[in-house]
Amino acid sequence: MAEVRALLDILFKGCVLLIAFLALVPVLHLTLAAIVNGGPVIASAGLKFFTEVPPPPGNRTYGILTSLIGTIELALLSTLVGVPISFMAAVLVVEFPHSRLGRIVRLLSRTLLELPTILIGMFVFTIIVVPLGSPSILAASIALALVMLPYVTTYIEAALSSVPRTYREAGLALGMTKARVAFTIVVPIAVRGVVTGILVGLAKAMGETAPLLFTLGRARTSLNVDPLGPGDAIPLLIYDYAQAPYENLREVAWGATLVLITLFLLVYVLARLTIRGVRV
Amino acid sequence: MGGSYALLVEGLKVWYGRRQVLRGISFKLPPSSILAVMGPSGSGKSTLLRAINRLLDYVPDARVEGRVEVFGLDVYRENPYRVRRLVGMVFQTPNPFPHMSIYDNVAVGPRLHGLAKSRDELDRIVEWALKAAMLWDEVKDRLHEPPTKLSGGQQQRLSLARALALKPSILLLDEPTANIDPTNARRLEESIRRVAVEDGVTVVMVTHTPQQALRISDYVAFIYEGKLVEFGRTREVALNPSHKLTAMYFRGEL
Repeated sequence: MAEVRALLDILFKGCVLLIAFLALVPVLHLTLAAIVNGGPVIASAGLKFFTEVPPPPGNRTYGILTSLIGTIELALLSTLVGVPISFMAAVLVVEFPHSRLGRIVRLLSRTLLELPTILIGMFVFTIIVVPLGSPSILAASIALALVMLPYVTTYIEAALSSVPRTYREAGLALGMTKARVAFTIVVPIAVRGVVTGILVGLAKAMGETAPLLFTLGRARTSLNVDPLGPGDAIPLLIYDYAQAPYENLREVAWGATLVLITLFLLVYVLARLTIRGVRV
Repeated sequence: MGGSYALLVEGLKVWYGRRQVLRGISFKLPPSSILAVMGPSGSGKSTLLRAINRLLDYVPDARVEGRVEVFGLDVYRENPYRVRRLVGMVFQTPNPFPHMSIYDNVAVGPRLHGLAKSRDELDRIVEWALKAAMLWDEVKDRLHEPPTKLSGGQQQRLSLARALALKPSILLLDEPTANIDPTNARRLEESIRRVAVEDGVTVVMVTHTPQQALRISDYVAFIYEGKLVEFGRTREVALNPSHKLTAMYFRGEL
């Protein structure tokens, strides 16, 4: 009997490992493909890959300057817009769950999470791009902020909820108001989780494409950093160039893919590191 | 007419939703005495404490009926923040704020209520509170370190110091020694006894051991299924319990 059980155990472990590996295959394949196809492109272009604008079709030069700057600017701007709102929303949902406002915000946040991102792009197009007359970095940042809002809110909510109730009671018993307990006790205790949430939002903002289609414009061949003017982003460049009929553009797309994955990994490693340091 | 009493509880009833937890509790406690609240788990002891400092305000479906007076102050008509300034509390698990230094943990209450006019005065309050909790000698050279480095028992005495720093008139303790070692428990008992005698603090302490009640309390209250079945001077109740449940509890049969 014991042998059968041991055998079953090994069999089960094997199955779990196999399935886990299957789940990782796309990630590994994508990373490998980006390194194999994008690596040589970046290597041959050298630093110019980051300092030159994308080439004209058929040319043998590479560069993603405008998209790279655009992605960084978009990530920062959308974080600036989205994080304070997410933060307040999370505090409201966790610390005042029975207030009417808390309930409404929770419902809205959950709904936003389910909304297709292309619809968010269209929404921002209608309320910002149309009145302003043209697509802009600002409009795209707002669209991205709306996309990241529910994610960041959910992460910060989880961080705040993990703070044991007894610290809240201790603060209240000293005569603090609920708001004071929230901001001087709960948030500082959960600070690492909050930072993780912000980083996850940052990563989300860097990787999204759909919300940018109607909102960003494609200022690809000349650099613009004015938020009210059009911009570009790496995911948008990949989307366009990957289906372009010119080989050099497709190669730029591969190089850009490798850059995007690297940025992603950087942010995730940072997020992991902050999680690891969580204290009681 | 509760002026001569530190704590007056009259017809206190508490519901959580439809479930009634306290079924009409009444007692009076003279100043600077120690009351030990006993009873099996789930009998409503912690709820009684949280009704006195109005922490039940934050339990969404809790409903309170009856009257609580702290030195003549009608708790449920008074501003709750003022009530909690007068009524300190120590919880079952040691819970110093992990993101503040040892010093700041004690100073947080006085700062909140503006008790100190100067840095010096705040230093004195912190020192007094830590001495009252018998923790001063162990932490005086590391006041700016985080409390997470302290042992569980030390953390619990820090929680006591944090509550004492507000110079409360009444101190509520919810099984404060349940999660700490016997040596630390003894020290905690000693400091509680001392603040009652020397500083005139009135203490209401939920305890799970009859021995602890016998050691430190002047009065005992025995709660069973939300009712106060026995209340009286500790010695008298221990020697001659008027209710058979209390007798069983003291013999360890409940």
